[in-house]
Amino acid sequence: MPVLANTFLFVEPDDNYLNFGSVPMHQIVEANKQPGQDITELTGIDANPDKIRQILATKNPMVCSMIGHGSESVYTVQNLAPLLHAENPEELTLMKDRVVLLTSCLTATTLGPALIVAGATVYAGYKKEFWFYTGDSPGSSRAVQSPFIAEFQLIASLLRGKNTGEARADQLKKYDEEIAYWITGEGKNHADASELSRILELNKSISVFLGEASVSPSPQAGVLGAQINPAITFGVASIPIAYMIYKALA
Amino acid sequence: MSKELVARWFNKISEAEKDLPLLLSDGYAYTPRMTYTEVMNESALGTKLQALIESGRFGTSTLEEQAIAKVRLQQILASKPDKPMFATLSNKVFTARELMQEIESGTELGSQWVTNEIFHMTNIVRVR
Repeated sequence: MPVLANTFLFVEPDDNYLNFGSVPMHQIVEANKQPGQDITELTGIDANPDKIRQILATKNPMVCSMIGHGSESVYTVQNLAPLLHAENPEELTLMKDRVVLLTSCLTATTLGPALIVAGATVYAGYKKEFWFYTGDSPGSSRAVQSPFIAEFQLIASLLRGKNTGEARADQLKKYDEEIAYWITGEGKNHADASELSRILELNKSISVFLGEASVSPSPQAGVLGAQINPAITFGVASIPIAYMIYKALA
Repeated sequence: MSKELVARWFNKISEAEKDLPLLLSDGYAYTPRMTYTEVMNESALGTKLQALIESGRFGTSTLEEQAIAKVRLQQILASKPDKPMFATLSNKVFTARELMQEIESGTELGSQWVTNEIFHMTNIVRVR
């Protein structure tokens, strides 16, 4: 069965410091989701391999965006439970035809390429350590969210109807904006601005995108959000109303 | 580049960056604040340092760049509280002191920060 457009799975574990990433992921999904999209967020203890497999089988999402701890060949979810092994074809096939976004360390070296070989249309992840700042509590400040604001721009743009290539370009641009915020922007005199700018530079330098740049997981959102002039939309929507008024008058 | 443009460069970068060694000339390292003072005083050293900023360069050999990068990171991390501030998505958490140990020991994680610091220095010199 082909994967379903407009269907997204977000995996948001919250243990082992992962809530620093899952809190902003949830906020970004909420801020960017569009009408008509089928969105599943598996959070906390629900972010486990069984539930993820169940959603993949029943909803068949085109996009799987997941945060978790990783190594060269293994990606894990809640309780460090492994979900994907590079050497396990059955697990890799779970991601066939999907856009797979793994916010984790190191998976771009082995697991990411293995996913592409197994048929994933896109893999995005990191070839070395993905760093983040834990100086404040999760979600409580721009400082703790900043590395994830840049990282999750990719999903924000996909939700808003961009294709994978455009979303990747937006992500890299957002990295530059966040870096500038801490070096020369409003955040430059924050007590930990030095570390934050470096964390963002490090993450950007090891960010990897593999696969197709022309996949549009949510094409309708792009049409509604960017291509149709609002005046035309209003005009088209007014036709049935005008007809009813005409009929009533007649 | 005029003195005013060097002043604009100096004012644009963060306070934290102004006292980190950045430019190398004749075997000595200079911070942006020292550079600003020398350029404003129109000294011979100021002229050399200004030329480095104009060309977007900061140093000479790779060894010197690495040494300066380590000093800069040491200076940044030394003042931080002894609490976990840095984490990775491979389930590692570090205090500033622990991260400094990684850098001084030359581990893969520490080397990642040193390499990035050289890139960061380039970014700072090229701020316009």
